[in-house]
Formats: sequence, C-alpha cells, structure tokens
Amino acid sequence: MNSKFIFKSILAVAVVTAASCKPELKTITPSKGSADFTRYIAVGNSLTSGFADGGLYLEGQQNAFPLMIGTQMQTVGGGTFSMPFFNANQADGSGYKKLSSFTATGDPVITDVPAQAVIGSANVPGFGTVPLFTKYAGDLNNYGVPGIRLNNITLTYYGNLNPYFERLLPNTSPANTTSYLSFVNAKPFTFFSMWLGNNDVLGYATGGAAVAADFPTDKALFTQLYNLAASTMIKGGAGGTGAKGVVATIPDVLSTPYFTTVTLKALLTAVQASAPTVQAIFIQPGTGAPRPATAEDYFLLPLKAANVIGKPNAAGLPYGLHPGNPVESKYVLDKAEAAVVADYTNSYNATIKSVAAANGLALVDANALLKVYGAGKVVNGAAVSAAYITGNLFSLDGIHLTPFGYAIVANEFIKSINSQYGSSIPTVDVTKYRGVKFP
Amino acid sequence: MKKILLSFLLAVPILGYSQSYQVNLQGQKQTAMGGAGTGVALDEAAVFFNPGAVSFLKKNGVQAGGSAIFLKAAFRENGSNITEYTKEKLTVDPSVYAVFGNPNNRLRFGLGVYVPFGGAVHWDPNWTGKYTVTSLDLQAIYVQPTLSYKITDHIGIGAGFVYTNGKVDLKRGVPLTLNDGTSGTAQLKGHSNDFGWNAGIYVETVSGVTIGVTHRSQVTAQVKDGDAIFRVPQALQDGFPTKFNASLPLPATSSIGLGFYPSSKTIIAVDANWVHWSKYKVLAFDYNNNSRIPNTSSPRNYHDGGALRVGIQNMATERLALRLGAAYAFTPVGKGYVTPEVPDANRILLSAGLGYKASERFSIDLSFLYENVKSRNETNIETNLSGDFKTVAYIPGIALSYKW
Repeated sequence: MNSKFIFKSILAVAVVTAASCKPELKTITPSKGSADFTRYIAVGNSLTSGFADGGLYLEGQQNAFPLMIGTQMQTVGGGTFSMPFFNANQADGSGYKKLSSFTATGDPVITDVPAQAVIGSANVPGFGTVPLFTKYAGDLNNYGVPGIRLNNITLTYYGNLNPYFERLLPNTSPANTTSYLSFVNAKPFTFFSMWLGNNDVLGYATGGAAVAADFPTDKALFTQLYNLAASTMIKGGAGGTGAKGVVATIPDVLSTPYFTTVTLKALLTAVQASAPTVQAIFIQPGTGAPRPATAEDYFLLPLKAANVIGKPNAAGLPYGLHPGNPVESKYVLDKAEAAVVADYTNSYNATIKSVAAANGLALVDANALLKVYGAGKVVNGAAVSAAYITGNLFSLDGIHLTPFGYAIVANEFIKSINSQYGSSIPTVDVTKYRGVKFP
Repeated sequence: MKKILLSFLLAVPILGYSQSYQVNLQGQKQTAMGGAGTGVALDEAAVFFNPGAVSFLKKNGVQAGGSAIFLKAAFRENGSNITEYTKEKLTVDPSVYAVFGNPNNRLRFGLGVYVPFGGAVHWDPNWTGKYTVTSLDLQAIYVQPTLSYKITDHIGIGAGFVYTNGKVDLKRGVPLTLNDGTSGTAQLKGHSNDFGWNAGIYVETVSGVTIGVTHRSQVTAQVKDGDAIFRVPQALQDGFPTKFNASLPLPATSSIGLGFYPSSKTIIAVDANWVHWSKYKVLAFDYNNNSRIPNTSSPRNYHDGGALRVGIQNMATERLALRLGAAYAFTPVGKGYVTPEVPDANRILLSAGLGYKASERFSIDLSFLYENVKSRNETNIETNLSGDFKTVAYIPGIALSYKW
C-alpha cells in the first residue's frame, strides 16, 4: 500500500473529525410542568412596569422583569408577551435621571432627562391636575402601574389619578370608571405574577414620613385586599378557566441606597472638612423637638442633591448644624418612623406569604433576595451590592433596580415558578443586562 | 488535497491543555503513544522526555514538528437552556530538538525548544462568563541545552538548563456600564523571562526492561510591568491602573517510565507523571493604581495532578512504524475552583500515529490525539459562575527528522 496515501487519509479524517465535533452537554428539554403559560400577565407597580432611574422610559420598559420571564416562557409554550412601550420618538417617556459627570470630589452629578410622552394634563375634580401620557392601546400583558398601592386596586376612579394607569385605559381623565383589579381581569389569562404592596409603605418612607396621607395602608385592610386580589386572580380573568401564579414579598426599603447613601458619618465628615468643631447634625424628627441625629436615623438620598447642609437661614443659623435650623422632616426618616416602616413591611410580608401558601401560589421572597444581594454578592464574576451607582443593583433613584438587578429578580421568579409547578423555564443570562450607565 | 487540509487547519481553532494549562505534545512519536516516553530512548525528543536517555540514541539527529490543537469547550449555565462554545481558534504547539556529539562517546549534547505550558481559550466577548474571562492566550517557550552522560553501558544521566520565555494575554469584562450601554473590558498583557532545569536517569536492566526517571523543575513565570489596558467609563478612567505585576507557577513534573520490548519490532512504553500543581495557590494581579480597583488575589488552590500513560510502537515494515496509545490524566483543579479560563477535569486521551522512514536519514512522523475531558458541573467559589463544562480536543501533529 502506498504509505503516503495512508498518511494523507488519516490526516484528512483527523482534520475533518476535529472540525466537525463539538462537545455535547446532556440535552435539556424545557417543560411547562403543571402550569400553563399561554397567556401570562404581570400585575404590579413600578417594579413590574420596568421603572428605573426615577422614571418610566422605553429602555427601562425593555428591561422589565416580566418581559424577561414572558420571553423565557416562550420556550415552554408561552404566548407573546406584549408591553405597553412608549413609542420610539417618545422613548424618554416620563423623563428620568441620568448620571452626567462627577464633581472634583467624586460626587455624582445627576441631571434630569425631560419627559417626551406627556401630551397634556387633565383636571380631576377634587384631586387636582394630573399629566396625560400618550395612550397605549395595543395588546397588553404587563399591567405594571408605577405608584399603585394595594389599597388603590379596587378604586373605580383611580384611572383618573394615576397617569401611568390612565394611558392604558380607553377613556381620558376624568372619565375612567374601571378599577385596576377589574381592568387586569377583563380578559382571560392562564398565569400571572403579582408584586403589589411596595407602595403601601414606600411613600411614607421616601417622604421622610412628613406627609400624613402617606401613612402605610392599614394592616387588616392590606390582608383583606391581598386575599381579594389573590382569589380574583386565580380565577383567570373574565372567561378564564383558572390561573396559576407567582407573588412576591415587598423589599425592605431601608436597605436601598435611597436610605443608605447619605449617612450621618458621611455628613459629619463633609462638614468637618471646613468646620472641624461640628459634632452633630440636628434633625427635625416626626414628633418632638429637634435633636442630634444618631446612626439609627436615616437621611434620604435627595438631601445630598438639595445641597442645603450648613446654609444659614434668615436668623443666620446653619442648616442642620443648629437645633434652630434642623434638617427638615422630609429629608429624614427618624428611628421611630423607621420602626413603623419595618413593622408594616413585616406585617405585609407575613400576609403575602400566608396568602400565597393558602392559594398554592409560587412565592418569591423579594425582601430576602434584595437583602442578600444588597449586602454584597458576586454574580458570574460581577460584584453586586446596594452601593449607590457602583453597586450594579439599584438605578439612579436609589430604589428601583437596574436592568442587571431586574434580571436577577426575573431569575428568582423563574426559579420559584419552576419549583412550585415542576416546570423548567430557562433562566436569563444576567450578564447581558447593564448596571448604571456611566458618562 | 493539500489545499483542503490547509484550509481546515486554518479554519478550525483550538486551544490545548493536557492538564490545566500544561501541554503534553513534545514529541510526535510519544504523542502517538499516549504521551509516554520517559522510559524509552526513542528519538531526539528524549531531550525533553529524559535527558538521561539522550546518550543512548544510536544516531545524531534533528527534528522539527508541531501539533495543531483543535479544542472546543462548552458551557451551559445552570438553569439556562443555552450552551455557549469557545470560539474556533487554531493554536500550534511546536517543538524542535537536536542531538549531537559522537554516538560512540559517553557524552552527548542536546538542544530542545518546546512549549510545555500554554493555551488559548476564546469565548464570545459577551458570553455569560465575560466578567470572569473572555480570552486567555498563554505560552511558555522553553529552550533547553542539555548534557547527557553514559555512566556505564547501561546507565545514563542527563540534565539541561531551561530558559523560559512566557507571554500572557488575558481579557475579561469589567462590570461597569459605559455610556453606550456596553460593559467595560480589561486586558492584561505581559512577558516573562525565567529559568529552570530538567534532569533524568535512564537504565537498561538485565531483564531487558528499560527504566527512566525524570524531574523537570518548576519555573515561576514573573510578569513585571505588564500592560493593564482598561476600557472603562471616561469619568472613571483616571482611577484605573495601567501596569500590573503577576506570577504564574509552571509546575514541576516528576515522571517514571518503563520500556518493554516483547519483540525486536515492538516497544511498549508506560509512564506515570506527577505534576506538582499544588504550588498554584492563587492567581494574583498587583496594579500600579488602586484608586478604583484593589489588587486581586483569586484562589486556585490546585492540588497535585497526575497522569498514567501507555503506548505501543510496532514496526509494520522496515520503513513503517504504527503507534497507539492511551492515557488518563487526573485534574489538579478541585471542586469550586474550576474557571472558564481553564475548564479542567479528569480526561481520557487516545492516540495513534505513523512513522515513515523515507530514507536512511529522513523520516516523517504523524500523530493524532483525541482528548475527552469529562463534563463537570461546577460553581466557582470566587465568581459564582455556575454550570456545566465540557471540553474535547483533537490534535493532529507532524514532525520531520533528519539523522546522521
């Protein structure tokens, strides 16, 4: 035999083999388990809508966690997941915050991107003026409405008060008469996610407990409404034959950058750079006389941007440095108020957990999840924490998540659904999503 | 035919490790025999395999060869249904040996240039593990002048001084988002120049069995003032480093090998290698500017690794040698420490090859090595990257030799 021929043949076979063979991993066939994802709808507030950086805008909507879940559900028989997107020429939506630069001392300079989707305003009798956004009239799966509280979901006039809800409804303020709960149940669905309740305590906390109307929703009312919402949702909407679903606890806002970025220590350090003798920051607590702040009081993120510390008032007293000119209540959640936030959050979460268990719903403990990631965790090589701007988890408003953060949440929902219903919806690749955009 | 072959060779990319980033492709005959060669005096590649056997080579010669490494690794994140593959990139692992001196004398000389450590792993720049690594190119070229001395007619010793020239080019994503929405990247590039040694003993026993024992020293590749190229947001750029120092152990290997000669036409070689990987504790980078990022120290905590190898050579005709081999290599990488830059696991190696003596002086050797790295489900303790890894490699090789 011609040995050259042998050599050549062997080499040719070897090279062809090498070029064609890929390593094989055991095949995975995604399955829907005992659930049906034909029409999945997402019910919730700003977190569900994709709100980020202090606004609702197209890019945030495109990174809404229910959209990630809905897209992944398509591998196990899920249908199209439609989002109420702002159109491309109104992509800035409600407007949002943007990181423009850093000062010489390293402080972030955050500017506002103006709204593009506001088309006017309506005067709602007895309430006031609300802005109007361009309507969205197409198919809808994500019903997330920024700002909605659980105790808003049965109000028939709520569609006139909340422009984010109004834009999804057929009528214009003040002519809307459909409650949120009725609206989401107007069409049949087979699966739902429901993440409500955050705003029932959030406004109280972010406003420094300074506005009486923001007081958290009554605990018993919360339980009653959560039961109503769950029992309504599992019927699967008008004409539906029942639905399965997933619900989530509400995060403890006190561990978000909105409350953890401006600290007593940071304020004192900044002041002492020019006035070394200053030893205290005076605050106006919710009740009682002004007093020096302690490490158990929370200063709010907007205090930093307001840049008021040390500014003398008419009497010449420096802001925050003298009991006669304390840091205003709206910038402080004092120790007692923080305890109220924690108490209501815990109570709501106990309700959510028990209602989920009673109705056989999958549960995401978003409170525990965001605490774990907020405390610092490495995700596929990327450090994640609740650090403002650099932590990758929270967006520029210090409360809502970045796309990276929403992807982590989406995966937690998927894991919870899979575990409850025996499905195997694939998770999303969190590293495909961004953190805060730097200049 | 040649054109077809060439186009395949250029089109298919690869990277090759035989154990972590150690590459065991230093001689075509030995590669075809499962990588065994410590206990036999086969050819000029004994400069690498056992300097003590060099003085037993019957002729002087020079050989030059290379292996093309077609390596493909796959990763699937736990929970995901998407499998990601390394990109196709051809790496060639060359080796050149020369043996000279009077074959009738007890003292012989050798020179070897080979690449015992290297690798090229190229993932998609936007893959799931981008914040751990997107690409690694590593190559340590060893140059080894060697002396080999026959103490008696049946015992030879040899030793070589090793000069190592290393280069490394590591890229990964940085989890900071640029203004265009993409993430930052880092590239660490550097060179090293270091020294080591290689020594061995070769014994012909009265029973006819030959025995070899060798040790190649550790070389610690030190990169000084390597280039750290960070592409990060403009506003943060000043806080990032531009230079780095790092060191990487190229571990010592101790081997024992046996040669059996069941007939005048047949040689069976058996090797056991012990690779002192336990010196590789951390992969650390020290930067010249730490205002944005600290120095890093990633735990590796390798344990020693080993391999068992067996090969057979049969002279089918006067001119044609047929070779077969098999080996099993134990990974040095413990649970929790697998990284996508070296997705290592225990592996099976199967090999075959041909040697053709075109004339008294000129011959050609071909080898083909198949490596199957076991699949492994891992969660890295540092990065939390969690999923299934699987790697296979196809490694054809060729060497030409000239004897006198």
